[in-house]
Amino acid sequence: MPRQNSLKIGVSGVRGIVGDSLTPQLVASFAAAFGNYCGAGPILIGTDTRPSAEMIKQAVIAGLLSVGCTPVDVGVVPIPALMLHVREAGAFGGIGVTASHNPIEWNALKFIAADGIPLRPNQAAELTDLYHQGVYSRVSAQEMSEPRSDQSTLSRHRDAVISIVNERAIRERHFRVAVDCCNGSASIATPAFLRALGCDVVEINTDISKPFPRNPEPLPENIGALCEITRQSGAAIGFAQDADADRLAIVNEQGVPLGEDATVALAIYHWLRIQPGPVVVNSSTSRMVDDIARQHDCPVYRTAVGEVHVVERMLQTQAVIGGEGNGGVILPTVNPCRDSFVAMALVLEALATDGVSISQLRSRLSNYVMLRDRLRCEPRDIAPLLRLLRNRYQNEELDLTDGIKVLWENKWLQVRASSTEPIIRLVAEAPTEAEARSLLNEALEILAP
Amino acid sequence: MRQLKIGTSWVRGVVGEALTPELVVNFACAFGTWCDGGPVVIGRDTRRSSAALRAATLAGLISAGCEVIDLGVAPTPLVSFAVREMGIAGGISITGSHNDTKWNALKFLGPDGALLNAVKSEELLDIYHASQFLLAPWDKLHPVDTNTEKLIDRYLEHLLSVLDVDAIRRRPTRIVVDFCNGTCAPIASRFLKELNCTLLPLNEEPSGEFAHPPAPSAVNMRQLASLMRCLQADFGAALNIDGDRIGFVTGEGVALSEEHTLPLTARIRLRRRPGPVVTNFSTSRMVEEVAAQYGQTVIRTAVGESHVIDQGLAEGAVLAGEGSGGVAVLPNSMTFDALLTLGFILEELAFSGESLASSASTLPQYFMRKRHLPCPPNLVYRVLDRFRALYSDSNPDCTDGLRLSWNDAWLHIRASNTEPILRIIAEAQTLQRVDELMEQAITYARRAVFGHVEV
Repeated sequence: MPRQNSLKIGVSGVRGIVGDSLTPQLVASFAAAFGNYCGAGPILIGTDTRPSAEMIKQAVIAGLLSVGCTPVDVGVVPIPALMLHVREAGAFGGIGVTASHNPIEWNALKFIAADGIPLRPNQAAELTDLYHQGVYSRVSAQEMSEPRSDQSTLSRHRDAVISIVNERAIRERHFRVAVDCCNGSASIATPAFLRALGCDVVEINTDISKPFPRNPEPLPENIGALCEITRQSGAAIGFAQDADADRLAIVNEQGVPLGEDATVALAIYHWLRIQPGPVVVNSSTSRMVDDIARQHDCPVYRTAVGEVHVVERMLQTQAVIGGEGNGGVILPTVNPCRDSFVAMALVLEALATDGVSISQLRSRLSNYVMLRDRLRCEPRDIAPLLRLLRNRYQNEELDLTDGIKVLWENKWLQVRASSTEPIIRLVAEAPTEAEARSLLNEALEILAP
Repeated sequence: MRQLKIGTSWVRGVVGEALTPELVVNFACAFGTWCDGGPVVIGRDTRRSSAALRAATLAGLISAGCEVIDLGVAPTPLVSFAVREMGIAGGISITGSHNDTKWNALKFLGPDGALLNAVKSEELLDIYHASQFLLAPWDKLHPVDTNTEKLIDRYLEHLLSVLDVDAIRRRPTRIVVDFCNGTCAPIASRFLKELNCTLLPLNEEPSGEFAHPPAPSAVNMRQLASLMRCLQADFGAALNIDGDRIGFVTGEGVALSEEHTLPLTARIRLRRRPGPVVTNFSTSRMVEEVAAQYGQTVIRTAVGESHVIDQGLAEGAVLAGEGSGGVAVLPNSMTFDALLTLGFILEELAFSGESLASSASTLPQYFMRKRHLPCPPNLVYRVLDRFRALYSDSNPDCTDGLRLSWNDAWLHIRASNTEPILRIIAEAQTLQRVDELMEQAITYARRAVFGHVEV
C-alpha cells in the first residue's frame, strides 16, 4: 500500500498524524510563525483530550516564547470557549490543539485571530507564507516572557451563552437531558453548563482520561449508546457533541436521532423568531433552512463548505445566525464560530418557551431525506470527473460555489472534493428517500460507470 | 554571529537566533532516541529562557516516547542523582550554568549520571546530524511526571551519607551563601540545617535576573566579601546557577580564588580516602602538592567536566575537579556538586579546628594569570597551530590547544569552549616569571590573530 501523505497545511490549520508527520519541530516552527504573525503579546493555548496534547502544547509554548509572545495555557477546553476567551481577553491570538472529529492518532493546530475567529483564508495563506519563508524574529533571553496559565475559560463561556437565553424559563422546566461528550473537552463543561440551566443531567462518555469511545463525528450511526440511554432514562432530549464541542447532534425523547442537519435548522427556526435577519449556511445544508427563513422573509446566503467560509460571509452580510448541516450552529451574538453550547441553549429555550417536546418541535419543520455517499479518488482525477458531471447537467440550474450543486424545484444534488481526504463527497436531498437515492445513483453512474 | 557551540555532553548558545526551539527540539529528539525512548529526568535553572527550553525539551522527549520525570527548577547534581537513583536511561539539565543570562544550554547525562563522555556524545551527535529520530505513535506517548519530592529527600540523605555528619554538627558554623538567584537555595537550606549550620542567604530568590555574573570567581564574590565582616560569619560561599561550582570567602572578607576549591577539598578527601586525583590542564598546581603530601598522583585532561570525570572513572580516582570551582567526589557523585563540596569543606574545618583563612594559608603559593583575546572561530585553530610551531622546542602537550610545562611554571593556550575567544593561562612560583610568560604569549597571540584578520 503506498504511504499516504498525512500532513495537511491549509485554511483550517495544520493537521497530521502524531508519530509520523506532525512532529514537534514542525509544530514549534508553526507556532513561531503564528507568534510573529500575531505580534509579541498573549496567545491563548487550549487543547482537547488527546494523549498527544501535552507534546504538541509544549512545542507550541516553545515556539511562541522564542518570538516574544506570552503563551497562556488555558488547559483542556471546548474550542468555542477558547475562541470566546481570545476575543474577551484581548489576546493577540489563540491556538487550539485539536483535531476535531479526526481519529485519535491525528492532532492539529487551529489558529484563532485576535477577534476570536479562526484565521480567514487570506490570513491563513499569509501565515503559511511566513512559515515557508522560515525567518522568524526571535527575541533574546532578556526579552523573553514567562508562560502563564488561566482557568477562567469555561466560566466565561458558560456565562456568555446563558446570557442570551431566557434562563429562568429553562430552569423552571427542570429538563432531564442525556449527553454524550465523546470523552472530549466538552466532558468537563457540558454537565455543569446544563446544570446551570436547571437540567437533570444523565451523562455518558464524560471521562477525559479515557480514549474516544466512538467515532467523534456525531452521526446517527455513532451515537447508538446515547439513543439507548435517552430512551431508558426518560430524558426529554439527548445531546451528542463531537470531541472539540463545536458540533451537536440531537436525539428525541424516543431515542431517535434527528440527524445533524436538524440541529442547525432547529436553532435557526427558534432564533429568527427572536431576531429576524440574514442567514448563512454552507451549500451542503438542508433546504429546511430556506423554508424556515422564507416564513420570516429573511435571505439565506450559501457558501463553500467550511466554518471559515460561513463565518466570513456572515460578517459580510451581518447575518444573525448561521451554520453548517453537520451540526455546527453559529450565533454572532455570542461569538462568530460554531458552538454546540449555543445550539443546546437555543433548543432548550425553544422547548421551554413553547412548552412542547423535541419531536413536536421537529415536526414543525419540513421533511426532507438527505443521503450521502463518497468515492475514493486520486486528487488529480477530481477535476476531470467534476467536469463530466457539469456537462451532463448543463441544462439544469447549477451552483458552483463548492464543487457542483444541481438544483431542482424540491431536490438537489451536490458533488464536491473533500478538503480533508482524497475523496469525492456526494449529497442528495429530496422529499423521499427513493428520489434522493436515485439522484445519488445517477451521479455515481456518471462518475464511476 | 550565530553563537552556538556543540561540545562534549552539551549544546550551548545565545538564546534567540542561535538557540532556537527547533534546535532544542531536535536535540531532545536525538537524546530521546539515544535513550531508546526510555525514561529521562529533566531539571532546569532559574533563567527566564529555561522555561522555553523546557517546553521544547519536553516536546522532543515525549515525541520520542520517553517518560519524562520533571524536577522543575533543580541543580544539575540533583538531576544526576535522580538518573542514578531511578536507574533510568539519562537526564537533561537545562542550564546556562556559569554563563551570563544571554546564554543557555542543555547538558546531557547518561545512565551513570555523568555528563556524556566523548564516545557517547559522538553517538548522540550522529543521531542529531542524521535526523533519524524515534517518533512514538499517539498511544505510546507518556504524561509528564512532576511528583518528585521523594527524590529530593533521597538526594539530601545521599549527601549526608557521604559526610561525617556528627563531626560537622559538633562545630556549629555560621555561613553566608550567595546563591546568585540560582537553583540551590531550597535544597541548601535543608542541607545546612541538617549539618547544624546557620545559613545567612544572599541572592537566594530564584530569578532570571542574576545579581552578578554567576561564575564563583573572586571578582564576582565582591558583594559577598564586602558583607562578611558585618555578618560575623565563619566563612562565605558562592554557588553558580546550577550548583556545580563553588567559591569561598574567608570570615575576614577575603575572596579566595576559585582555584582553591579543589585543593581544599582534596585535603579532607585524600586523608579519608587516598587515591588518584584528576584535573584539567588549566588548573593550578596547588592540588598536585596536596596530593603529593598523601602520596597520590594528579592526572591532567582536556578542559571540561565530562573529560575530567570520564578520566576519573577510568583511573579509579577519588576526586575530579577543575580550577573553575567544580569538584566531584568520586564515586559518590557523578557530576560536580557544589553542595557536597561545601559539606567536605565544613568537615575539613571541623576536623582541623581551623578557620578557612588559616586553612587556605597553608596551601602552596602560586601566581596565576588568566587572559583572553577575541578570536573568530574560523581563525582559532590556525592561531593554535602557529603557537605549536613557535613553542615546538618546549615539547608541548597538544591534547587541548597546547600546554607547556616547566619545573617552576606552566602555560596553557586553548580555544574557549563557550565563546569565540582564545584563552591563555599561566602559573608560576614567582610573579615575575608568570608575567614574563604571559606577556610573551599575548604578544605572539596578537601577532597571530591580527596577522590573519583581513582589514
